[in-house]
Order: sequence, then structure tokens, then C-alpha cells
Amino acid sequence: MSAATPFGRVFVANRGEIAVRVVRACEKLGIESVVAVSEADRDSLAARMATRAVCIGPARSTDSYLRAEVLVAAAKGTGCQAVHPGYGFLAERAAFSRMCAESGLVFIGPSPEAIEAMGDKITALRLAAQAGVPRVPGSERIASAEDARRSAREIGYPVLLKASAGGGGRGMRIVRSEGEIEQAIRGAAAEAQAAFGDPTLYVEKFIERARHIEIQVLGDAHGNVVHLGERECSTQRRHQKLIEEAPSPVIDRKLRAELGEAAVTLARRVRYQGAGTVEFVFDEDSRRFYFLEMNTRIQVEHPVTEMVTGHDLVAEQIRIAAGEPVSFAQDEVRVDGHAVECRINAEDAERNFAPSPGRLLAWAPPEGEGVRIDSHCYQGYLVPPFYDSLLAKVIVHASDRAAAIARMLEALDGFVINGVHTTIPFHKRVLAHDDFRGARVTTRWVEDSFLGGA
Amino acid sequence: MSAELTHEDVERILRIIDEAKHLEELDLVYGDFRLHIRRNASGERSIAPSADSPAPAAPARAPAAPAKPAARPVPAGMVAIRAPMLGTFYRSPSPGEKPFVEVGQSVKADDTVCLIEVMKLFNSIKAGVDGRIAEIRAENAALVEYNEVLILIEPAKA
Repeated sequence: MSAATPFGRVFVANRGEIAVRVVRACEKLGIESVVAVSEADRDSLAARMATRAVCIGPARSTDSYLRAEVLVAAAKGTGCQAVHPGYGFLAERAAFSRMCAESGLVFIGPSPEAIEAMGDKITALRLAAQAGVPRVPGSERIASAEDARRSAREIGYPVLLKASAGGGGRGMRIVRSEGEIEQAIRGAAAEAQAAFGDPTLYVEKFIERARHIEIQVLGDAHGNVVHLGERECSTQRRHQKLIEEAPSPVIDRKLRAELGEAAVTLARRVRYQGAGTVEFVFDEDSRRFYFLEMNTRIQVEHPVTEMVTGHDLVAEQIRIAAGEPVSFAQDEVRVDGHAVECRINAEDAERNFAPSPGRLLAWAPPEGEGVRIDSHCYQGYLVPPFYDSLLAKVIVHASDRAAAIARMLEALDGFVINGVHTTIPFHKRVLAHDDFRGARVTTRWVEDSFLGGA
Repeated sequence: MSAELTHEDVERILRIIDEAKHLEELDLVYGDFRLHIRRNASGERSIAPSADSPAPAAPARAPAAPAKPAARPVPAGMVAIRAPMLGTFYRSPSPGEKPFVEVGQSVKADDTVCLIEVMKLFNSIKAGVDGRIAEIRAENAALVEYNEVLILIEPAKA
């Protein structure tokens, strides 16, 4: 990093642990930070750490963190030059990125055109195909139930109904026979409408033994695009990632190079700038990979990549937005050892993962070599009921996978949290399970096998 | 009573804060002048003078002030007009025109007392009650946060 700092002051349009993460990156780069807070977040850790916090609205995110015009006004009014959107909320709204640009603010992320191209899943699938990145066999937009039946027959059951505007597993249905399809369409379309304001669906082949593999990419304004290897995120429940690791235990050097090449090619096609993730489904039976989607933001699980490569992805995002090139070349990327991340949520796994907001009467995260905690929590913090339930990400790094799992178990044993239910006991059971240790986990393992079948 | 606080005074106060290891926050009230100083987690200090105080001495590093304390009390019997949204506070309909209201002026509930602009969209803020303007806390053309007290009204006796 050169002595000159890219921006004087950066606005953080997010909350929770990612707001803390961005404030830390700003501190490291010698940049001031202004954090947007809702009324419920006035006392947040990010607000305490930032140069300034500014209250943007009531607790409900639709009245605060999702109000693009208010966030832009706040960023301008506090003298910021750039806006970091974090993940979730407005991070992948092209309109927000555009509004920032029109107000003279640098959006720390890709161009609105790139967000739009990748945000619409059908456009993204087409672009991926053009870039030589295969997709899971599937249909275009479906117009009717008859349309869906025809596509499903061609592809062969079981099929997956997916929302065109979707992500995060909402608006998805597995359909195992033609008799189920009509009801599944109704449910998925309603869910897609509620979650994304767009009920458009498409049909895809359903892969029985699927693993979720994703490639981290970084692109800059100078046309450089590099990848930082893969993350394995197959330990999911209802399409929500719970444990992520890097590297994947099932990807060899040759496959890694192929996946990386595919991701970089796609990113180049949309002149990608900033941090992004190309997600793939890996079919363990055929050992083929298919394009799933590209996420045009920093991801929750980015720390595992940081741990094995040694590169600070959030700092890279900020520097790239300021016009600097990616600070390293592809042949300088080394994957060293193994990293695992557990997402610790305020949820009761015994009660179907029911949210468990409340006050943290005790909070003592583990410390030690190779242990990193990304969190916005502190003792006495009130976990508000308005947002997602993520309390902390525990990330460990060790020489190999077995050592990393052992280190994670030790870290979780030493994590003291009182006042809310957490998913720590769940994580400990998964980490101790033979299927997890033996790297036999597919994306439906948690639900179908570990939790005892659907 | 108006406050007579010089630049040197502010510097002196900030020095005291800097040297006091265990002091996190300081509230100084002097007549209708209030100074709020808070040390943030990184050990830096920042200062947020109240909006109607005399022009404050700029802190050394001129950071944006921290979130203004929401705690500044509304005196008993007063009705506070709060910002229904974050935005830029304007006292007059357009630059150069006279303000909607001045301190001491009587207003009706339906009277517009100020504007808040968000991205070129001007929102008229009404008095909400009949009464007399007792205090204008927000500064013209400054950013006001959600729920910040803008104006105090002494309601008319029924």
C-alpha cells in the first residue's frame, strides 16, 4: 500500500459484523469511516469504532438500511467520498450503485451494469454459457405450468424450481414428479414475489450429490482479474451456509485451475471490478461443475480465503474502488494450509433453529493462534430482533484440514456466550461427525442425513 | 444566559479528556450551552456541540462529529418537533427567503416550520400543535439525523 490513502472518508451502508469489518479495513488504510445506524443500532460496535455514526431511520430495515436515498444523503452530508455496501441490504442493487455515482460518491463494488447482468439469474446463466462456463441443464423463464412441465420432462425429474431474481434459497422448490409441479410453482412464485418483488421462475436439473464450490475473484479498473482459489460451502441448511472452508477437500489442482479459469473468464466478460464470487454446483458423481450464480459483493465467508491466501479482501475492495490495481498477480496467489469458518447464529438448533434474540449476559470469544473472530457483539449487547441472527464468525487456520477441525472444536469449546441460544452445540456435533471429517457432506446432508431426514 | 467559551477553553477541555485514562464521556452544561465529548473505541476523541451553541472551536482533526446525543432533554411542557427522516434541514422555503418561523413566533398546528431535503425531495415539516416557537435546535442547511430534535414549541394553553 502506498502512502497516499485512496479516500479520506468512507460511508458504511450496513450493520453487524460486516460494518465492523469495513471500519477495521478503513482504519488499516488510514481512512475515516462513517457508519449508518438504525435506531436499534445506535450502540453498535461499528458505531463505537467508526469516526462517526449517523442515525438513518427506525429499526426496521425497510425504513433504514434499505433506504437508498437516505443513505446517499447521509454519506454526502457527512463528507464521505465512497460507500461500502457490505453484503445483503443494498449491496447488489444496481439502482443504489447508480444513485451513488450520480451523487458523486464512489460505490465500492462493481459497475451497475455488472450488478444487473449478474443479478438477473437468467441473464447471468446466458453470459456464463457465452463465457464457456456450463450451467446445470435447465430452462429459460417459464411462462406457465404447462411450460414448466414441458421443460421438466426434457430435463428429467427430479427438477428444481428457482426464482429468476433469487438467491439465498428463497423461491426454490424440489419437484420429484409431474404431479407436484403445479403446487410447487405456486409456492415458489409467491415466495419469490415476497422476497424479491418478482415471481419469475425457471426449471433446473436437480443434482442428488451436489457440493457447493465457489471461486473468489478480484477485478480492477485496469482490466486485471485474478482468482483466489475456491471455498467449499456444502454444509448448508435450507440453502443457508453454516460452515465454509478453503480449500475444498474434493477439488484437486487441475479442477481448481479449471474452475478459476471459468470464473475469471466470466468476470472479464462483465468487466468486473472489485470482489466477487462465482458459485458452482459440483456433481460428485460425474465430477463435473456447473455455474450457479455470481455474487457481486463481498461474502460472509470471505475470511477463509483471507486466511489461506493472506490477502485482505475488504482492503482490496476499497483500493480497487479508488482506482488502484489489484495488489498482486495471479501467480502470486498461494493457498497455504486449511481454513474453516463456523457461522454462530443466535438460534436454537433444538427448536428448529428458532431465532433467539436477547441480551448477551456473557460474551467471551476464544483467542489463540490461528483463531479469528469476526463479530459485532460484546458483553451486554442486545441482539435486536429486527435483523439476521449472525452473532459471530469463528474462523480457524491450521496446517491441514484435520488440524483445522481440531482447532475449531477447541475454539468453540472455549467460546462463552450467555443470554441467547446459539448454534455452537450444532457446529460441534457437525465437526465431530464422520461424514464431515471424511468430507462426504453434500448441500443436503444437514437436512437429509444429519438432522434425521425430511 | 449565553455561553462564553473560547477556542482555548475547548482545547483545554479536550486536553483534560486526552490525559484522563478512564474518562470515556463528558457532558458540560453551562446555561443553554451544552458540550458533549465522547472518546470512541479507538481512543480518539470527538466532540459534538449542540446545534444552537456559539460556533464551536473545531476539534484538532476535524472529523465528522459523532452521532449527536439523542439524550439532550426536552424541557417539561415543551413539544419537540423531531426529524421524521435523515436529511438536510432548511429553515426557509428557498435560499434568500425569510425563515418559516423565528423564535417567539406563534404557530398553528398546520403551519410549516421547516423543510427536510433528501435527494432533492423536500419534505415540509408541520408544527403539529398550536403554540409558540421556543427554540430552534437544528442548524440551517445542516444534516439532521433521524429523530433528532429540530424545534421546540411551547404549546398554547387550551
